[in-house]
Amino acid sequence: MTHDTTEEFIPHIVEPREDTGLYNSKLGIWLFLASEIMLFGSLFSAYILIRVGSFSWPVQSDLQNVPIGAINSIILLSSSIFYIRAYVALKADDIVKYKKFMYLVIAFACLFLCLKGFEYYQHFSNHEYPKTSVFFAIYFLMTGLHALHIIGGVIVNSYYAGPGMYLRAQNKQWFINRVEVAGLYWHFVDLVWIFLFSTLYLL
Amino acid sequence: MEQHQEKDEFKRDLLIYFSIIAMTGLIVFIGQLHLKVLEFFLIVPIACFEAGILAFYFMHLMTKKKTIHLVLLLTVIVFVTLLFWPAWDVAYSPRTPSEFTTY
Repeated sequence: MTHDTTEEFIPHIVEPREDTGLYNSKLGIWLFLASEIMLFGSLFSAYILIRVGSFSWPVQSDLQNVPIGAINSIILLSSSIFYIRAYVALKADDIVKYKKFMYLVIAFACLFLCLKGFEYYQHFSNHEYPKTSVFFAIYFLMTGLHALHIIGGVIVNSYYAGPGMYLRAQNKQWFINRVEVAGLYWHFVDLVWIFLFSTLYLL
Repeated sequence: MEQHQEKDEFKRDLLIYFSIIAMTGLIVFIGQLHLKVLEFFLIVPIACFEAGILAFYFMHLMTKKKTIHLVLLLTVIVFVTLLFWPAWDVAYSPRTPSEFTTY
């Protein structure tokens, strides 16, 4: 299907709507991110209420590997800045640079997952499971859900860096828009980690 | 001209990146001090500020359209309402064994 016929059937996939000032996928991703805020927000609320309502709570930093958590924060932040570089390169038609930075984003995301896996391994070695305590139940649920989001991001980014590149040949601007909204999702995942790290590792 | 603007933007993004890393280092340091309640009042605002500047600059919230601000505002209103609804209940629920007996 060519760009022209797609535009006929689905308007505003490239050009923004007059009333919202946004093209479809950007409005869509922000609505999706709003639902994600509700999802993670409800879990953070549950954590706060359970912690406030409990008689005692463990010192979390004693149970966690804080250095690895901090390194993971730097890794995710670095992947965010690489994503920005990839997007800028794509807009400038520098595909080699775009791919290089996208692969860096994917590599850093995989590194994050490996370190997360190592942390989980450490917990399991210490016989710390979700059933061990309320804190560990919340910890594994929230970090596990976040890790699933990272995996989702890796799949999307891998597609846009590799097999999905054919979409660019069909419509350059549409592809740039797709990469932009995927980037918004990626930055959001990074943002969630900032809160997870500070609340589950340090407080 | 456009290239120059992109360079400026990249410099700004790098500055934001290193600022967030520095703040992460700061909250880790505060976390190691074991300040108890004070820790909460230091770490949470810094983390919120970190997340705020990330959203503001990396997600370009400062230049986005009003529609996005409206979507986010509605989300925050619903979220805060749902957060404080049970919090009110928790605040008035019994805490000590003697309080439990009166219920």
